[in-house]
Amino acid sequence: MLFLLAAVPTLFWGGAPDTAPSVRDAGFQHIAVPAAKLDAWKAVTGLTVEAADPAKALKLEAPTVEYRADQASASRAPWLTSNGWQFIRQPQGQFYYETKGVGSGIAAAEAFSWGAKAWISTDAAGLKPLAQMLEFLRGVSAQDLTPVADIGFIDDGTDVTGEVMNLMLRHNLLFKVVKAPDSKMKLNVRIGTKDYPADQAQDPGAMTQIIRGNLTDEKRSLRVYGSPVVIARLTESGGKARVQLLNYSGASRKIDGLRVRVLGAFPKHQTSIMGSPGAELLDYTVDGGATEFTLPELKTFAVIDLSR
Amino acid sequence: MPGPYPGQMVRVHSERSINEKTGDADRAVAKEMMARGITALTGDARPQDAWARFVTPQDVVGIKVNCSGAPKICSSPAIVAGIAENLIAVGVPAKQIYVYERFDNQLQSVGYQKVLPAGVNVVAAESSRGSVLGYDPKTYVETSFFGEEDTRSNLVRLVADTLTKIINVPVTKEHQAAGVTGCLKNIAYGHFSNVDRSHRFEQTNTYSFIGTLAATEPVKSRVVLSVMDGLHGVWQAGPFSENPEFRFYPKQIWFGTDPITMDHKLIELIEAKRKAEGAVSIFERSRDHLGNNRDKNKNRYIREPGHVEFASKLGLGVFDLAKIKVKEIEL
Repeated sequence: MLFLLAAVPTLFWGGAPDTAPSVRDAGFQHIAVPAAKLDAWKAVTGLTVEAADPAKALKLEAPTVEYRADQASASRAPWLTSNGWQFIRQPQGQFYYETKGVGSGIAAAEAFSWGAKAWISTDAAGLKPLAQMLEFLRGVSAQDLTPVADIGFIDDGTDVTGEVMNLMLRHNLLFKVVKAPDSKMKLNVRIGTKDYPADQAQDPGAMTQIIRGNLTDEKRSLRVYGSPVVIARLTESGGKARVQLLNYSGASRKIDGLRVRVLGAFPKHQTSIMGSPGAELLDYTVDGGATEFTLPELKTFAVIDLSR
Repeated sequence: MPGPYPGQMVRVHSERSINEKTGDADRAVAKEMMARGITALTGDARPQDAWARFVTPQDVVGIKVNCSGAPKICSSPAIVAGIAENLIAVGVPAKQIYVYERFDNQLQSVGYQKVLPAGVNVVAAESSRGSVLGYDPKTYVETSFFGEEDTRSNLVRLVADTLTKIINVPVTKEHQAAGVTGCLKNIAYGHFSNVDRSHRFEQTNTYSFIGTLAATEPVKSRVVLSVMDGLHGVWQAGPFSENPEFRFYPKQIWFGTDPITMDHKLIELIEAKRKAEGAVSIFERSRDHLGNNRDKNKNRYIREPGHVEFASKLGLGVFDLAKIKVKEIEL
């Protein structure tokens, strides 16, 4: 399946037309509004509008990170709220985020990276970050690329498998949903089998580690070093690859240095890094059948295009 | 490592070396202790000749300090400055000397610049906590302890790219995970990123990880001398020093090239102090002693002081007390 990056998400704005100046001033030219307000908004100059009904969309949690410094563990991994598994489970779905502040931009980047159709509502503080992110996303070139998957995962639609999918994504384990084991995959996983017992899946974190162990890190097409709060997406086709990196902690907690490893030799690269235009990748190496580089800074979102 | 003096170390003691009330070291006394210690180690008459056995004017020399208990308990500025002065006396240009540590906030809290000769560099690997930019992406130890996503611990870039020799300056401290933090731990956890992942809840993997890191090249080859700051120390809840009650003042400086020998003697020192304070041994593994380490008989982790003996099996030095020779000097 070829994967064409979708159009950027759309702001869903429930306010009355008299709030149009704040929307326009933030930088929006097109928004979605409730159907009941569509006609009134059409009279507003400088904005194009479409009707949207969030009730008919799948509501998502605002992507974020919860740091757990109070827990007595030196290896306390932050808890990420992410929605990638929802996009994989329903690739044709319409999604709806309710966000606040800078979370609006992270939501936009998340939906964009998965090519998901999404409306994003936000508060006044979130207008500017969302508009800036959407402007950035419009500047990212669209490419026909296939999602890279190391694991074929049979999704039975249950909450348990959903959570395993969620945790696999958060650990940057690349998978795709298959109906039956796929011989092209490095590993196939069906919860409820001898290798992946259903009772062990009741602890999705432990099950994720079993899957990771069976795949082995050496065979993983993508690795991220230097932060536990970055989720990466890898797509590839015809000697080109795209790595999308989203920092779930956002610009308020930027990452100074992120090392990325991609299987395959890609001597050329181009970058689009939100908030760091012109930044160069560091310590770029192509060796041993893999390409590695360091992103000097990741505020929220970066797109790295690799080629042969 | 273990260098030209395996199984040997020199311990210099002076009651005048530090003011216990202020925590300030006496620079003149420390200087004399260092002169006596280094010459006793090498057998040379002049300190300059002794230092010249370890470095040449062409070397770029790192002084690896330990600032995890800073600003109160860290590699004493008096000792660090003394080392830098001796290096310059040998002919190493000040600009080729680097005082360094992993974390900038800890390093800056000490203020080494105030006492160092002009031109000596003071640098940290992590200007912001967690940054990978100060580490060499090509030199790392890769392992997974608890299923953590980042399985690499990378070497400080300064060591990989710049330094030709390293002088290790640990402090005599107990460590809540490793049991003690002396030569080995300052070399290992002090030179690699992403190492706190080795602990989770009460379990710590320091037993094997410390030696593994310390035995990694080029670290193993470039550490040519250890100068253990025993003017002051910590006997509980280390490596930090938040509670003054757990500080103590051995008033010693140790010299050697064998980190195993020195750390075995450090275990003895810490054990003796803890026994005198009525605290359980660092070898105690009972879960009954897990808890808040503000209590001298409680600890967050089951300590792993066996890491010293384990590291000896990696060829880093002599652990057998019967084969260890300590020269004692009293000033």
